[in-house]
Amino acid sequence: MSERRNRERETAAPAAAAPEAGGVWYSDDPRDIGWVKENIPCQSACPAGTNIPGYIQAIMEKKYGQAYEINREANVLPGILGRICSRPCEEFCRHAQPGNGETVNICHLKRASSDLKHVGHRITESLYGPSGKRVAIVGAGPAGVAAAHDLSLLGHDVAIFERESDPGGMLRYGIPAFRLPRDILQVELHNALRLGVELRTGIEIGKGKGQLPLAKLRKDFDAVLLSTGSMASVNLPLKGGIGKDDPDSIDSVEYGLYFLMGLHRGEKKTVGKRVAVVGAGFTALDCARVAKRLGGTEVTIHIRTAEEYIPVTKDEIFECKREGIRIKGLRSPSQLVVDDDGRLRGIEFAQNRLGGWRDNGRRQAIPIEGSEFFEPCDTLLIAIGQRTVNDYLDVKLELDRWGSVKADENGQTSRKGIFAAGDYVTGPTTIIEAIGNGRRVAAGIDTWLMGRQRRRQVVRIEPVAEPLRERGFDFIERQHMPTAPLSERNKALTNEVETGYDEALAATESKRCYLCNLKYQIDIDNCIYCRACIEVAPKNCIKLVEGVEIRNDGTYGELLETKQWDEVGAIWIDNNECIRCGACFMVCPTRCISITRNEFVTQDI
Amino acid sequence: MAEATHNVIIGNGSAGNGAAITLRERDPDSRITIITMSSLPFYNRYDLPRVFRGCHDWREILVHPPEYYDDNRITLRRNSRVIDVDGRSRTITFAHNEVMHYDQLLVCAGGRGYLPEELSDYYHLMHGFHSFESAMITHDALPQGGTLLMLGGDMIGLDLARTLIDVGYRVVLLANEYTFWPHRIEPEERDGFLAALERMGLEVVDGMHPVAIEEGAAGKPARRVLFDDGSDVDGDVVMPFYGLMPTAEFMLGSGVDIERGLLVNPQLQSTDPRIWAAGDVCQIWSEADKEYRFYYGWTNVRQMGEVAARNVTGASEDFKGVGDERLHVGKDGYIQSPFWEY
Repeated sequence: MSERRNRERETAAPAAAAPEAGGVWYSDDPRDIGWVKENIPCQSACPAGTNIPGYIQAIMEKKYGQAYEINREANVLPGILGRICSRPCEEFCRHAQPGNGETVNICHLKRASSDLKHVGHRITESLYGPSGKRVAIVGAGPAGVAAAHDLSLLGHDVAIFERESDPGGMLRYGIPAFRLPRDILQVELHNALRLGVELRTGIEIGKGKGQLPLAKLRKDFDAVLLSTGSMASVNLPLKGGIGKDDPDSIDSVEYGLYFLMGLHRGEKKTVGKRVAVVGAGFTALDCARVAKRLGGTEVTIHIRTAEEYIPVTKDEIFECKREGIRIKGLRSPSQLVVDDDGRLRGIEFAQNRLGGWRDNGRRQAIPIEGSEFFEPCDTLLIAIGQRTVNDYLDVKLELDRWGSVKADENGQTSRKGIFAAGDYVTGPTTIIEAIGNGRRVAAGIDTWLMGRQRRRQVVRIEPVAEPLRERGFDFIERQHMPTAPLSERNKALTNEVETGYDEALAATESKRCYLCNLKYQIDIDNCIYCRACIEVAPKNCIKLVEGVEIRNDGTYGELLETKQWDEVGAIWIDNNECIRCGACFMVCPTRCISITRNEFVTQDI
Repeated sequence: MAEATHNVIIGNGSAGNGAAITLRERDPDSRITIITMSSLPFYNRYDLPRVFRGCHDWREILVHPPEYYDDNRITLRRNSRVIDVDGRSRTITFAHNEVMHYDQLLVCAGGRGYLPEELSDYYHLMHGFHSFESAMITHDALPQGGTLLMLGGDMIGLDLARTLIDVGYRVVLLANEYTFWPHRIEPEERDGFLAALERMGLEVVDGMHPVAIEEGAAGKPARRVLFDDGSDVDGDVVMPFYGLMPTAEFMLGSGVDIERGLLVNPQLQSTDPRIWAAGDVCQIWSEADKEYRFYYGWTNVRQMGEVAARNVTGASEDFKGVGDERLHVGKDGYIQSPFWEY
């Protein structure tokens, strides 16, 4: 008998033993854990591991509060992320695979769970008893807040030290209110920190006068978490010729990050009529949209590569353009052009060509020699990236080659008891990555403080009686986010652009989700190989196989397909192709197809 | 016997057809497939103004007789939308889930009318001119002697305008930076060209910024364009002519370099050696201008298709483009453009 046959026989049994009479069961079998990781692509792509099908199904059932709570289990700020998330999940949505149409608006639905829940909705928090341990967190940005929330749930006394007057970090000081209303920010930050977290604002950690040294924090607390983000701008390299190295020294030239932070601290900011923004991320787009609202009439974003390769959402690009902002590609600024009085006249750019791919997945741009050209502008905002700052450290920590603090997967730095999380470790990423990282490091701190791991992830498996979707749902078009009219947008910097789904839009969009957490499985002992399921399947999702590879880590691998009947070991539903339409289930004459809902939950150990 | 090379052309316009017949001439044994979203065989888009001169039968605007494709052993796949191209597996996926293999792919998908994003909410109140079908809908919506409100006024729109004026319609041009696209007009030339348009019979409204479009009030023309200063103008039909944007979305996952269009070298080869592009969909590297640039107009587009096909079949020829791209005013006082020549 071939090796393949042995594999098939091994996989004929269910991964986890189901109870005799149905009901829910829990599994730590690698095959079940691997199945969830591989078959729910949106959840796997979410840095916080949000149970996306779970909350979308709750929305479908109009259980908005439940949907909000499912979100909150992974991401403590759903109303905020539902507005400004970079949406890595949507890129991997099965609905976006070739032939399946467009991605589900996962992020808009997240916001709907927050917007549509009842006023006075009761938040569910599962509290541990007091541990007697004290944790100091430096920085009240997304990573710090997420970690503080989790650590306080785990029973630790947490204090956050924040240099600004209010918490939120980039959420408050980097993102304009027309994308993230401050009342939403305030409520969700308050909810995250209200379980006894002590918030000390206006306190700067550092070596200078009036500053609190890190060494003292470490002495006073059982653990310290550094989550100070990447709050400095990357310098723009420019040719000489203006006599000054620092573009900030020219009037009307400013780094975009400081422009936004100043604005959100309450400083008065002005721009000229013609505004150039150099950069390609969310900060660059935010700068351009703020500039438009401050009176810029010709606002242009200059990018090194092309729209396809910039790390922002398509919706954000569209809204930018809709507000009259232009995006011009394949250009790198080479020098500023100023008049005799030192006033900015414009920018000299070099034409670029596209190069290869960088390690970080971004596209390279290569300036072409002799291709320089001039673009006039009155104001220049530079937003080409952000970096971490370590000059406040009075404790020696090992740094990596980019100047970020080195930390292991649990956030532990080279100094025992000092942890680091979020953009401070990874360099500038996204809010959801910072939250995900903050939560993972919080779990690492808890393990270190308590001397053992207290929680683990398992798969909750629940039988589902019948398909939860209709085939007709697959043809529903993507429901676009309603937005404020253009005439309203420029009236105030605080007028929110995206106005949110109402119940009808949320219900329609939620139906589009395939609910990939549903696992369709054929019981081959009862299958009569009639092929009816194969005939009705709208995709190539039911396969005749010799067996299924089992990888070294115990998870399912490649399906070993065959077309020879004498080699068929099983008829197998390829859940990566399956769109959970339920057609196979409905047509099966022997009822040998079962459906279970498989999702990660956290269990106490 | 070895299987014939399968050359697939996406797009059934001037570039695609120029490429197809060149391929057939140079490689008689190859398999050629043209894929088009249109329900009609190849017709010349520059001929569409004829709809307003009484040409209402699609057969009259076909460039080739129906048997042309069979005679040349070209498979024409009409009503077929490509949604994905995978350069690694050399496959094309259609909206109806069919997958087709290619050996060499020529992307000649052209461009579609650009509508500035700030006007996207009013798309349903505008009429198009991108196909025979849309031209007929516009024709039916515009009453004899009625008023067309033309936004922008690129050279495609101005070509339609001169026909409309000739047959008794009124054309109000709401001029802006897109007027005369794709010509690059020096600021000091602009007033002269606008004056030439007025001599041709267009009513030119310059410097006004449309912010909204509404349905007309009862007893009034069917449409009203509102400007940012609170004023407005009435018309029977509103048509946007803001130039073309490449139809390249389906190529985004293909692995080839794209800025606005597919980026190609002067031989019209993309960054994938088996994918070529021609026509309004591609940006061609110009060593002289040190930039990737578009070339428009029937003559350019046709030539691009032919050059790409010759290079697919072993030549190494650069696309050069028509020499004179300037807009000028003729002896009759009317504007003349190489863009209109075919």
